[in-house]
Amino acid sequence: MSSTPVSDAQLIARAVVHDDRHAFGELVRRHQSAVRSTLRRLTGGNIAQADDLAQETFLLAYRNLKSFRQEAKFSTWLYRIAYNVFLADARKIKDLPLPDDAEGEPVADATAPSLSRQAALSVDLERAMLVLSEPERAAIVQCYHNDLSHEEAAQVLGCPVGTVKTHILRAKQKLKARLSAWSPQA
Amino acid sequence: MNTQDVDTADWLDAALEEAGREHRAAYVADDGFTARVVSRLPAAPTLPAWRRPVIVLLWLLAGAGAFVALPGAFDDAFRSSVALLVGRPLGLTDIALLLALFGGAAWTSLVYAARAD
Repeated sequence: MSSTPVSDAQLIARAVVHDDRHAFGELVRRHQSAVRSTLRRLTGGNIAQADDLAQETFLLAYRNLKSFRQEAKFSTWLYRIAYNVFLADARKIKDLPLPDDAEGEPVADATAPSLSRQAALSVDLERAMLVLSEPERAAIVQCYHNDLSHEEAAQVLGCPVGTVKTHILRAKQKLKARLSAWSPQA
Repeated sequence: MNTQDVDTADWLDAALEEAGREHRAAYVADDGFTARVVSRLPAAPTLPAWRRPVIVLLWLLAGAGAFVALPGAFDDAFRSSVALLVGRPLGLTDIALLLALFGGAAWTSLVYAARAD
């Protein structure tokens, strides 16, 4: 017997109207990967911190589920909560420490075979992301990693669309300088 | 924007998009995360278990008190309303039958409410 998958909206209604914790658990199960990996990117790969923030994100989402108006996707609403939780935590910590090797030389080897070249570029890009400011990194994460439009990213980040575009432009300039060894002209 | 900028931007865009694809494809295993979140959800506000019997008892006491304070009023109102409905005066058998019916209905309601809880 095939069962129709329950939509996010139906699960939210169950959680709100009947205080159905199983329904909310299903929402957590569906979105935990995206939220946790987004927070891992924002925290510069700190898995423990990202998971703590992800728990806090879902607890806040549960408390405020009644205020979710379904004007945006549930995932976009979650990203916004996650980003606010991250910002609140970052204000406490102030400066995110860079890993020891973050300032090191790129591992780029432009002459290496294609597959390992792509892997090395991926590692370098990951490191280079750590030199971006929080808003710049958040804009890159939302637009490239979470594949949101500039408008959706602006909703998540709570700023105008123009600001998102500026953050992305500045982030790319920094990344370009940081990853100059990977440039085709290098 | 000169040609070099365009080339670099294209190359960087491609790298970022590839990183994005990898990010979306990489599934973070649940590993008990959902269970931890659900276990930390705030408890739903519930009425204490003693509240319902105490309320029923208070209503019974209030009814008994009113019955004792106004002995004739209930009897008169009951007989008049039933006489209006059935169009004839009530005998003792009718009253007993009606009381049994009301009692049965009350108990059924109580049992249903208890099961629903």
